[in-house]
Amino acid sequence: MITAERKPLDEIASCIEPYNRILLVGCNECVTVCAAGGRKEVAMLSSALQMVSMKQGKTLSVVEMTLERQCDPEYVESLALHIDGVDAVVSMACGCGVQEIARRFGQVRVFPAVNTKFMGASERAGVWAERCQGCGDCLLGLTGGICPIARCSKRLMNGPCGGSGDGKCEISGEVDCAWHLIWERMKALGIEDRYEEVISAKDWRPARGGGPRKIIREDLQ
Amino acid sequence: MNLQHRLSSGKFVILAEMHTPKGVDISDLITNARGLKGRVDAVIIPDMDNGVMRMSALAGGALISREGIESMIHIYARDRNRLALQGDILAAHVLGIKNLLVVQGEEMRLGDHREANPVDDMDELELIRTVKTLQGGKDSAGFDLAGKPSFGVGCTMSLWTSDRELDLELEKTAGKIEAGAQFIILPPMFEAEQLVAVIEKIRGFRVPVISTVFILKSVGVARYMSLKMDGINIPEELIQRIRKAGDREDECLRIAGETIAAFGQLSQGVRIETMGWEHKLPIILDYAGR
Repeated sequence: MITAERKPLDEIASCIEPYNRILLVGCNECVTVCAAGGRKEVAMLSSALQMVSMKQGKTLSVVEMTLERQCDPEYVESLALHIDGVDAVVSMACGCGVQEIARRFGQVRVFPAVNTKFMGASERAGVWAERCQGCGDCLLGLTGGICPIARCSKRLMNGPCGGSGDGKCEISGEVDCAWHLIWERMKALGIEDRYEEVISAKDWRPARGGGPRKIIREDLQ
Repeated sequence: MNLQHRLSSGKFVILAEMHTPKGVDISDLITNARGLKGRVDAVIIPDMDNGVMRMSALAGGALISREGIESMIHIYARDRNRLALQGDILAAHVLGIKNLLVVQGEEMRLGDHREANPVDDMDELELIRTVKTLQGGKDSAGFDLAGKPSFGVGCTMSLWTSDRELDLELEKTAGKIEAGAQFIILPPMFEAEQLVAVIEKIRGFRVPVISTVFILKSVGVARYMSLKMDGINIPEELIQRIRKAGDREDECLRIAGETIAAFGQLSQGVRIETMGWEHKLPIILDYAGR
């Protein structure tokens, strides 16, 4: 999923300070799963913003909505019924959702209420960790299903650096050494010989090296 | 009188662009530079121009300085992060490089190492600010430096294809001047009228403006640039002049020389983009009457 964390309340409140009526839009997808911008978080932020406004002696009107997917024009279109009645939109979706609203409703300011973080997975309740950087040329088949680009601090492609110790990364005892995990995984799979295979310097064109990316499926157009 | 003093005192300057080798054979670079000693005010060394891997501009600038010729190197953030950039800027000072030209790096996909990962840690504006910060004795993280580097710092303007694009480019350039750029180098032009028009628009910036003369090496190059490069306007008469000449190569050199002479009347300096004809610069300067 795409993970996100809510921005500090002060930052969001300062963005909408000039406005009296806002549309606060959550998303039912990734940001709901990581408890950053789903229906529940929309309700909580709405109350918090109205309290901030009241403290300033003002009245803030908030229209709360949570779309099925904010990155999908089909769902974003449903905001058209409400957009004329508001001064600004605050989106609790990832950056994709914020931009989709901005694209569709060019006449209204849109502010993000969350910081989009990374593509990751839930490690345990309340903990999400980075798993994928969307490099566009997946090599998980070579590395035992553990990504050195997303999970090695130095994005090393051929084994750990000298800072790895006791299976942990030198940047923090909380961070696993990706190459330790890869080695353990290879041992478990009985494919240790694969560890000796040298992975060449990566071609970054399928990643961001080639500029903004796009997928075109002619069979679906 | 060095380049900075000439620029600040309103004197005319000629800057010649010379590329570092793709390899370690520096004989052409040194020979060509020696042939220009006393005839140009500085040699500009691009850094991996057009995304083509070559010896770094830092080495090239140091070699030129060692020959007693003032140098100016390109810096940009496509290939280096803020640590590497600052380290190289400090190195440039101690290696005798007197001038920096902050430019925009070419897209990686257009170069010869297309699979490389672009860094793009900062933009031109921030890089100019960073140079200014270093010159003030601090690094970009706010830590004190042991000794301050000093440079003449210039910026460039990109090509434009419409009045609106020109306005945006002017706005960006104004920001670069405000950030600390001390002179502007314009993109290549082939008509005096175009140069006059843009100089009129940037007069208010109150910094020296240096025009660019691009050496057209053949009819093919001229045609290609005219057709394929947005913002390049090459008059058809100029292309026909090369085509009809008995000695086309010599005609190209004459045109470059004449353009330098003409642009020299309109701007405070001229940069000559050589495109591999560094060895022909003395002849071009002869034709320019310099």
